[in-house]
Amino acid sequence: MKQPKNVKDISRGDGPLSSVEIRDQIPLPPPFDKLEDEPAIRPLAKDVCEKFVVVDDTIAVGIPKPKTKEEEEKLVNGFLDGLRKCFNAADNWTFLQPLMMSMEHCAKCQTCNEACHIYEESGHNELYRPTFRSEIVRRIYHKYIKKHSTWVHGDIDLNWKTVARLIELAYRCNLCRRCAQTCPIGVDNALLAREIRKVASQEMGIVPREIHDDGSMLQLKVGSSTGMNDIVVKDNIEFIDEDTAERTGIPIKTPWDVEGADILLIHNAGEIMAWPENPGAFATVFQAAGLSWTLSSDHAAYDGINYGVWYDDVQFARVAIKHAQAAARLGVKRIVLGECGHAHKALTVIADKVLTGGLKIPVESAFTVLHEIVKSGKIKFDKSRNDFPVTLHDPCNVVRLMGIVTPQREVIKAVVPEHRFREMAPHGCENYCCGGGSGFAIMSGRNFSDWRHHLTGRRKFRQILEAFQGEEMDKEHPKYVCAPCSNCKGQIRDIIKYYDAWEKAGISYGGLVELMVNAMVDAKPGFIDWEWH
Amino acid sequence: MPEFKVGDRVLDIDEDGFIQKPEVWDEEVAKALSKTEGVEQMSENHWKLVNYLRQYYLEYGVAPMIRKLCKATGFKLNEIYELFPSGPAKGACKVAGLPKPTGCV
Repeated sequence: MKQPKNVKDISRGDGPLSSVEIRDQIPLPPPFDKLEDEPAIRPLAKDVCEKFVVVDDTIAVGIPKPKTKEEEEKLVNGFLDGLRKCFNAADNWTFLQPLMMSMEHCAKCQTCNEACHIYEESGHNELYRPTFRSEIVRRIYHKYIKKHSTWVHGDIDLNWKTVARLIELAYRCNLCRRCAQTCPIGVDNALLAREIRKVASQEMGIVPREIHDDGSMLQLKVGSSTGMNDIVVKDNIEFIDEDTAERTGIPIKTPWDVEGADILLIHNAGEIMAWPENPGAFATVFQAAGLSWTLSSDHAAYDGINYGVWYDDVQFARVAIKHAQAAARLGVKRIVLGECGHAHKALTVIADKVLTGGLKIPVESAFTVLHEIVKSGKIKFDKSRNDFPVTLHDPCNVVRLMGIVTPQREVIKAVVPEHRFREMAPHGCENYCCGGGSGFAIMSGRNFSDWRHHLTGRRKFRQILEAFQGEEMDKEHPKYVCAPCSNCKGQIRDIIKYYDAWEKAGISYGGLVELMVNAMVDAKPGFIDWEWH
Repeated sequence: MPEFKVGDRVLDIDEDGFIQKPEVWDEEVAKALSKTEGVEQMSENHWKLVNYLRQYYLEYGVAPMIRKLCKATGFKLNEIYELFPSGPAKGACKVAGLPKPTGCV
């Protein structure tokens, strides 16, 4: 395994600083326990390595190597200008306090390292140690911004390689904040990774295409990151209503733009495009429970995504305001977020603290709404329809970040036979990220998905396999990974495909509300379609 | 930007091999793209999928929902994977000259 020896290596030499060998990784549980049978991380093409800055086995951002002295200086100065703004209250009032705390108070105890799934699954490669990246930022801050002695805080050379590699490295973290949770002081390495991404985007215009150009920019232009405008989304929802009704025997009509409704439901539009059974199941359950609810066809309000959460405060604010405005225009009592983790973080955790006046509208998670529905007794469930092993993934942004642990479990308790439910270890707020967090689930350029499956998604796949040990690991015995978040779902779909885990072990996946409809007494049996994925 | 040769033409593609200008697409381009997706010979079924995707894209400016694609063409999802091993979004859409799917899909 190739790895850096010292944080100062970030500024030195050419080419990648690290490379992960599959033979150094921890074998997965059976039936995927032979390291030699694992698909390899495809090498980057030679011309790509010549053209772009490479820090390890893959490329997430794709920063072209500077060709002139001016271009080199532009990287360094741009980064330093941006970083300075991060420490200025007028420019960064939202995140200044936790940033200062993380910058000034790390005791360098390294307790956080073992909390990081990427570091652990890499075979403890130094490059992925959560404090590796943070230590570089810290040294740059002390030396170049605070002008402190390098004798106290450690030296670092800020050249174009430091900057370009650091930006790439900011996209080797899922922003799951498990390290911050473990830290006795609360130092947040994920926040630091995001601040680097933010400087790169807001100050230098350096962004991964999938989350910026094809993500938040497309959402602001067309109305959704999927490219659906309001006409297409209405057409698709009409199709979903019909398709769902065919499968359940329960006619549904998804309401649009109902003024004064209690609930504005905002889905991640990826659900509408790729997992239509999820919005179909929501409509079925909400209608059966007699809720007063609506979708909004306002620009960007039918897509709950807000990719700015991962990399850019300005993009974040633009989208968050659109969501709040749509709710204000309809005069709804509250916004309910569908099964999308980062949408929860965007509206309930961040926007809730910064929006004021008429835009301050209560926001609630779908998990608690679904739990209320179950408790109300308005829908009769037959648990025996979900007579298969079920495990539950806890999306970081809903569970660790917001502490919503019990409602989704109560829902499962109401619709799945008790002896069929298997908790992952660990779970709840101690959970591991699916591996798709911070935008990774939608990033697949070049060989990035290979790297993602071997490094970031491996721990979750390991947990899934461990949860199902003791079951018949074949297709004749289907097993369900409940992943109530769009990004998590996409990541889990991809890793199931990567290891052929449906064919080889009968592992499939889906959301939470689908399990409810699958157990509804009033619906035709067999809502979950195992062969579909 | 990487390039892709089709006969005498040189087309811009992204790092995943999707053509960047959907309007330059024609049957010759589709055949050339299908080879990059492990499809040696475009059969009638391949064309049925590709033509539906193409038509939908021209009308709506976006790829159709996968379930809609299945319903409209009569193919099951696994049959689409048999035709295009990387699947409907990354395989069939690429051959049909659509841009790479975007958002959380």
